Amino acid sequence: MWLPLLGLILGLGLGLLTDIQIPTVYENYLSIAVLAALDTIFGGIRANLQQVYDDKVFLSGFFFNIALAAGLAFLGVHLGVDLYLAAIFAFGVRLFQNIAVIRRILITKWEERHIKKDENTV
Amino acid sequence: MKKPLHNNKFTKKQFIVLIVCITTGFIIGYSYNLTKDKEKMNNSYVDQEESYREDLIEQQERNKELAEELSDLQEQIRNVEKNFAKNEGQYKDLIEDAEKLRLQLGLIPVEGEGIKVTLKDNVYDPNSTNPNDYIVHESHVLSVINELKISGAEAISINGQRLKSNSYIKCNGPVITIDGHQFPAPFVIEAIGNSETLLSSLKIVGGVFDQLLMDNIVVTMEQSDRIQMSSINNEM
Repeated sequence: MWLPLLGLILGLGLGLLTDIQIPTVYENYLSIAVLAALDTIFGGIRANLQQVYDDKVFLSGFFFNIALAAGLAFLGVHLGVDLYLAAIFAFGVRLFQNIAVIRRILITKWEERHIKKDENTV
Repeated sequence: MKKPLHNNKFTKKQFIVLIVCITTGFIIGYSYNLTKDKEKMNNSYVDQEESYREDLIEQQERNKELAEELSDLQEQIRNVEKNFAKNEGQYKDLIEDAEKLRLQLGLIPVEGEGIKVTLKDNVYDPNSTNPNDYIVHESHVLSVINELKISGAEAISINGQRLKSNSYIKCNGPVITIDGHQFPAPFVIEAIGNSETLLSSLKIVGGVFDQLLMDNIVVTMEQSDRIQMSSINNEM
């Protein structure tokens, strides 16, 4: 459990220390990238809890989602349509769904453990 | 959670999770950093704008003050000019007055149209016992000069001696003395003024001209467009 947390903290530190300026136009891409990354992580956690986790799906989903979102935003900028909103919307909805699933699974597990404890004590 | 088979080695899954987490963390951190910078920049922009606005307001107030000062000063200038114009009229009058007075005092040389009257003793008359009957007396000169002055002569001279307002003329036997200078006959009296007026006033019937003729004096009068007289100062 400590490895992902350590990785997250390391990444945060790197990101905060980085002092590269990017043009204002590309800031949309960054917001989408954040969403895509969060979505993938929560998706991964959910998959892990549901025991359907797969390395290839996780890794490819992470990078592919980011790339797709960035591509969509790029297209949107050049077409004059705010297509990145579509990506934000999709990722947002999926993020909430994933978190909801994770919550339910955790609750179920907790209840199961409680019942077991009760059975053991009785 | 399943326990990895080799505890001291990364499993493939852990490695992937680590990479994904690092990437996500990096993206989030970078994004946060960028937003913070932008906010700071915006704040600095706002501050700058504020300070510029204050400067502008200050400048506008200063402009207003200066404009008021300017209008005040212009008002002052206008007043001064008005006074000046008034005074200028007075000065002009004063200058003209001074000029006239100088002319009458004989302080400046004069030049202008006028007449020339010459009084000569008559030729010796053996029939006459009294030579006073045919020589020019100071009274004759005086009467001519008085007539000229009355008729508006601006300047008068006798034999080149300019007459002042306080000149005296004295009979001194065969000569007359004017302001201490002695002059013999013939006497040339020059007067500057309107020549027509001067001449006609002398020629009035029963006037000076006739009286002079009665006193057996040879009188010649001539009009002249240009008579020059020097100032008294020069002669002195």
